Amino acid sequence: MTRRGRGAVLAVVLACARVAAADDHAAEQAFRTAEQHAVAGDRQALDELEAVGRARPITRWNDQAWIEAAQFAERAGDYARAERDLAEAIAITTDDRLARRARGELARLAGFAGENGQWSAVAAEHEKLEQQLAASGDPKPVLAELEALVAANPGYPRAWAVMVVIAEGWERDGDSARALDWLRRAKAAASGADRVHASAELARTAMRAGELAEARAVIETIGDPIAARELRAAFARAELRRDVRWVVLALLAVFVVLAAVSLRRQAGAWPAAARRLARPPVEVWYLLPIAVVFVIVGTTGNPLVARSVRMIAIGGVAIAWISGALLDAVRARRGFVGWRRAAVHALFAAVAALGVAYLAIDRDRVIDLVIETWHEGPELR
Amino acid sequence: MRPIFLGLAILAGCVKGNPIDTKFLGNGGSMAIDGCGYSVTTQMGAEAPIASQDLFGADPTPRLVHLGVIGDPKTSVVVQWRTADEVTRASTIRWAQGANLTADQLTQTTSGIHFAYTGTACAVGGPTCPYRQHQAHLCGLQPGTTYSYQVGGHDPETGADHFSPVYTFHTAPDLTADPAASIVAGFVGDCRGGYDVWQQFVNQYTTMSLNTPDVILFSGDAVTVGITQPEWEEFLGEGEPLFATTQIIFADGNHEDNAVNFLSQFAQPGDQENFGMDWGYAHITVANDTPEDPSAITGANHDLLAQDLAASANATWKIVMHHQPMWSSSTSHGSNVMLQAAWQPLIDQYHVDLVLNGHDHDFEVTLPIVGMAPTVQPTNATGTVYVVGGGGGAELYPNGSHAWTACSESNYEASVIHISQSKLELDAFHTDGTAAPCGFMKTK
Repeated sequence: MTRRGRGAVLAVVLACARVAAADDHAAEQAFRTAEQHAVAGDRQALDELEAVGRARPITRWNDQAWIEAAQFAERAGDYARAERDLAEAIAITTDDRLARRARGELARLAGFAGENGQWSAVAAEHEKLEQQLAASGDPKPVLAELEALVAANPGYPRAWAVMVVIAEGWERDGDSARALDWLRRAKAAASGADRVHASAELARTAMRAGELAEARAVIETIGDPIAARELRAAFARAELRRDVRWVVLALLAVFVVLAAVSLRRQAGAWPAAARRLARPPVEVWYLLPIAVVFVIVGTTGNPLVARSVRMIAIGGVAIAWISGALLDAVRARRGFVGWRRAAVHALFAAVAALGVAYLAIDRDRVIDLVIETWHEGPELR
Repeated sequence: MRPIFLGLAILAGCVKGNPIDTKFLGNGGSMAIDGCGYSVTTQMGAEAPIASQDLFGADPTPRLVHLGVIGDPKTSVVVQWRTADEVTRASTIRWAQGANLTADQLTQTTSGIHFAYTGTACAVGGPTCPYRQHQAHLCGLQPGTTYSYQVGGHDPETGADHFSPVYTFHTAPDLTADPAASIVAGFVGDCRGGYDVWQQFVNQYTTMSLNTPDVILFSGDAVTVGITQPEWEEFLGEGEPLFATTQIIFADGNHEDNAVNFLSQFAQPGDQENFGMDWGYAHITVANDTPEDPSAITGANHDLLAQDLAASANATWKIVMHHQPMWSSSTSHGSNVMLQAAWQPLIDQYHVDLVLNGHDHDFEVTLPIVGMAPTVQPTNATGTVYVVGGGGGAELYPNGSHAWTACSESNYEASVIHISQSKLELDAFHTDGTAAPCGFMKTK
């Protein structure tokens, strides 16, 4: 090639490079502007990002624009459009890593919105209601809407996930039986790895509700070794708690019998013992208003905690009543209560109160909340 | 927690008939490193650093060679190793600029330091207590440059050389000289007790064409009991092919538990547990969420994190690494709400791009989020993405899913993070090298 020829080729190459740089710069400007609008939550940003994706000639911003458009569309609940944007990115990109990630995203979206986005609207409603449920104080209205969503869309691929969320909501509201019923339906509706997830939730909820036989049966059906191992360990803990519960109940029964026999001895006869027990002792008049305040305050928070507070308050008043009546009977017979008797009496009352408190929190997930708070401290928000 | 681990370790030692060595009690100390502008400080349980000496034991063969950084990664590196006999006190490095040089091409020699530290278990016929760590500090290197080196010592009495094989490493790029430079960081954690899996990841990292990491970010829990040295031997032994050529940045995990073994074997800046450094376009901040005094989470460690993030406010990409996840949907540990309360305001305030954690033995990438509610961002352009990468070999935990979960898997996974001026990309892979479906990309 002559010197003039080489010069001409160089000039063309330089001109092309200058044009390419200008194209790249213009595409970047458009991408940045669209991105700023997206950050501000402006719906117009989706069209702008897609316009950058469609622009020609192709620059390094096209595939990124399609990816951001897909992110924006997905987080705005438009799953069908997100799927289309991801497909566009895959079609034009020369970046293997980007293409691999986009294919993964597309598969994930198809898993709940359908391959052509046919369940897009249902999935968006599902996401919206799930977020509302997490933020709601009274879950019942949102749970009713979620139940209606499942009923109206039996073919929705993530119906099982909606059922799990419904179950969590009912459990949070204190209705474990209803929660278990929804989880049984979720397990039946799910398949593959989703079925493992639904089964694990069913087993955990059954354990919390004390339905250990069902929990054991469900765990035996779980083929995933990691989930099964975790659940078997949880099941062993649940069995231990059940055994402790029976021991505490037996202890309380023994205390009640001992208190009744002792009261009869001090009163002289069963009718006299019954008469003494019929009059609330001073301890009850002291404790009752405090217990009522605790119960009222408890009702304003978590329903499970409220139920535990109610049980502890009722149990505490009952212990104070029996204990006070017994001490009154001793005082009436002997004129005083010796320190040894007082110490033994206080010890029995304290053990009974601890037993009642354990039984009160050993329901549903309250004991787990207590253990978590013990380990992690109160939630600092 | 620490007394429990200590008790377990002593018990394990006694059961094996190898009681802990209680005779060695180092009080730590400091030594300024010539030409580097920093000092090496050893901790309680280790002796003060000593300059290299011409003393050779029965088997001075270097082993467990691994790289660290205390100074600027553009211009410095720390090479660390032990010897088979734990007696040898010669700490020398031979080095030269260039890749894959032969031993006789290593024209420069630099003297290092060594110090002993204690730990379990001093097995009969095994390593002798106390253990002796060697370090060689190379400073004033060229940025973005490849060097070859070998460590060990020359015995003047016998005339014998006791050096390691020749390894190659490279320094971090200088962005002023090379604005188009990009780096690849490997990210993994929690390989304790699963060193067969760990070995597979090491193989993957060392054989990745085009993606071989420039630096390894390890999010803690390399061992089950921090003061048990045999586990460290396994971790570093399996990792040697990678660590002898790639600098490691290590976050203290609850199982390292601030043990003297951890602090003695990994040269890192500052207090070795809370620090930051620039590597390419990324500023990497490491924080300790398992301090000896838990109040440091809201006190000293919080303040160090705040200072480092404030000082690096202009960094292109901000990456924070610590062990316990603020956000995790695993049903094992899950999100640490105390850390959320203590540190997330800083993460949000300084617009950290990526937070790397372990602790839960699964893999999870969140959507970009802000706040403790949290609020999912419209695109990846804003917010922080939290990654749990605890699938490095330890027994797997179940994964989970929340509204803020982008993807999660209960699987053994490690990652590579590609960092350039305009892009931050994270891709995970399995032990066989196949790509995992979890990933993340952000552009600026």
